[in-house]
Amino acid sequence: MKKQSIASVVLAVMLAGSMTIGTDRATATTRAGGGTTVLRFQFAGEPEDAAVYDLLIEAFEKGRPKIDVEPTVYGSKGDLIQSLITSFAGGAPPDVFLLNYREYSQFVTRGAIAPIGPRLDEQGVDLDEYFRQPLRAFTFDGKLQCLPQNVSSLVVYWNRVLFERAGLEPPAPGWTWEEFRQTAIALTGGGLHGLGVEASLPRLAPFVWGAGGEVVDDTERPTRFTLDTPEAREALEFLVGLVRDDGVVPSEVDLAAQDLETRFTAGKLGMFLSSRKDVPAFREVTGLDWDVAPLPVGSEHATLLHSDGFCLARDGDHPDAAAKFAAFAAGRAGQGILSLGGRTVPSLRSVANSPSFLDPTSPPDGDQVFLDGIKIMRRTPVIPTWPEIEERVDEILTRAFYEPGYTIDDAIAAIAAETRELFEEAAAER
Amino acid sequence: MKRTSSPSLRRVARAVVTAAICSAFLALPLFMLVGSLRLPGLPPPNGWEWLPDPLHWGNFELVGQVLPEWSTAVRNSVLIVAVAVPVTVLVASGAGFVIATARGTKLRFLIAVSVVALLIPASALWVPRFSVFRWLGLTDTLAAVMAPALYGTSPFYVLLFALTYWRIPTTLFDAARVEGASPLRTWWQVAVPMGRPAAFAVAMLAFTFHWSNLVDPILYLSSPDRITLPLALSRLQAFEPTNFPVLLAGAVIVTVPATVVFLLAQRAFLTRTISGGTRT
Repeated sequence: MKKQSIASVVLAVMLAGSMTIGTDRATATTRAGGGTTVLRFQFAGEPEDAAVYDLLIEAFEKGRPKIDVEPTVYGSKGDLIQSLITSFAGGAPPDVFLLNYREYSQFVTRGAIAPIGPRLDEQGVDLDEYFRQPLRAFTFDGKLQCLPQNVSSLVVYWNRVLFERAGLEPPAPGWTWEEFRQTAIALTGGGLHGLGVEASLPRLAPFVWGAGGEVVDDTERPTRFTLDTPEAREALEFLVGLVRDDGVVPSEVDLAAQDLETRFTAGKLGMFLSSRKDVPAFREVTGLDWDVAPLPVGSEHATLLHSDGFCLARDGDHPDAAAKFAAFAAGRAGQGILSLGGRTVPSLRSVANSPSFLDPTSPPDGDQVFLDGIKIMRRTPVIPTWPEIEERVDEILTRAFYEPGYTIDDAIAAIAAETRELFEEAAAER
Repeated sequence: MKRTSSPSLRRVARAVVTAAICSAFLALPLFMLVGSLRLPGLPPPNGWEWLPDPLHWGNFELVGQVLPEWSTAVRNSVLIVAVAVPVTVLVASGAGFVIATARGTKLRFLIAVSVVALLIPASALWVPRFSVFRWLGLTDTLAAVMAPALYGTSPFYVLLFALTYWRIPTTLFDAARVEGASPLRTWWQVAVPMGRPAAFAVAMLAFTFHWSNLVDPILYLSSPDRITLPLALSRLQAFEPTNFPVLLAGAVIVTVPATVVFLLAQRAFLTRTISGGTRT
């Protein structure tokens, strides 16, 4: 009697649990059975981003009662990628997902992405209306894999109040490295730092190009870093010098207490290097007076492309609806909604030049800086091992920035040695 | 003189050391609580702020407004622990009893299985589990997140019960058997009542595990209706620094139940151990 009752309690609890959980699911399938397609869309972003995507989805569903887009938002890019890798390996990926151009190719070589290029004609998408740079970045194996949503570049965010207090003029377009350096020095002191720059490859790369150098030997088929050339060295020396000799960048200890973004919002950083992604955050800070300026110019004008694209899963259950959604989201209506959120620089020329992006009522005043950046924009290679390569390089650059006795020669040698195999691996996968 | 002063001195020293250790652990919850009372949108404070000015209690409400899924997350998380914790305790207790009463090769085999299971890194099971859940039609259901309860959530909990039951004199189990009790009945009527402190400890650990489990929901749940509290918190974490007060308010809401459960269970198992100790 007793054992039966225990066993039945356990069973009842489990069953009750799975039944209450099962009901919602069952209605979902009947909905689908009733002719409604449930489309799963995954991306990483802040709650405000999620709200903007909710608007986008609402607009999409309005004209299409038979499609129900179900968004999954992740708090960080790492969570998104972990979930994608598991669901692809387990054979039940989402239909549409948003990835950076530096990260998507590992999913292409694993056979997880259905190239979007061939599907665009039937959706009425004219690629000529898009900026070319992000399209090229999302082209892999000769096909357009994902549809770019934005085309951001690296810019200098600057604090107007701190500039005025130091008696400095606003950064002028075409300012030189030396002017940039002197500005940073003038802004430093009394607990404030002149410049916030991450020790990372995406920050170093535009300076290498700006000095007339190259980051890798061949952007299409890279086999090694070319940071040992005099030009690339000059860029490394300039950045490391700002940290080590001029002391205008917060130290590692400072950063552990408060990161760069927080320091800028707290008015403790005069200038901060980042892409468009910080605009929504800075807009919301009460009392922060800021704008954006182009990167300082070395011997050449250059900046780095930042772009995310809508990708389709190869084994998705609803390829047509997925393509339709991606085309809408990266189309005129979709990009219009997204650019209102402030985070994206539209990849569609018409939206980029429209008031929904160049909104004069909300900061930055210098929205045009992002569009000017497109002409001088370059990109890092698209190879499956790139995320890992960046991770290694960032570690080494952090040492070059902050570790006593770690020289630029050490860094260049370490970067070459630690990434050789990753380049070979990528070449072998082609 | 020396004899009388040294014990009290030792007591003071012990109190000081305890206070120092406690304050190190208390600093974080305190930071969380103070930070949750700050007006969002202000630039973050420079250094430690004892009392925000103005004191703002609205963040606890704001959490539900900025993240409309918050109430769904609360409901799902409560449902998960309501099912997973009792099942974990029952299964781990039963399995522990089997190990504690096994002999010879069987015992060695069971221990080996538990230890090996304990050594397998969780990440090695992500994809296989996903496939199994998909095959069973359980992906994107809360059952996928509760499922580990069916094997006691962790082999560690099973071994904890086994260790507890080992300390019960075998003569008690033998006596029950002589009286004609089945193993199941012996477990329920002899072992379970005597292993109550372990049950409280495991319930507490299992509660903490399931309440704060982030990886499984990330991997196996996707629709907005299936969001859990850790997922909701990780979404708030994406907030920029000026909105951290909202994130911290969310963290306070999530931490309070875990703290209450700990305090209740701790009292239960501490008093039981003491009464058990005096009896023997």
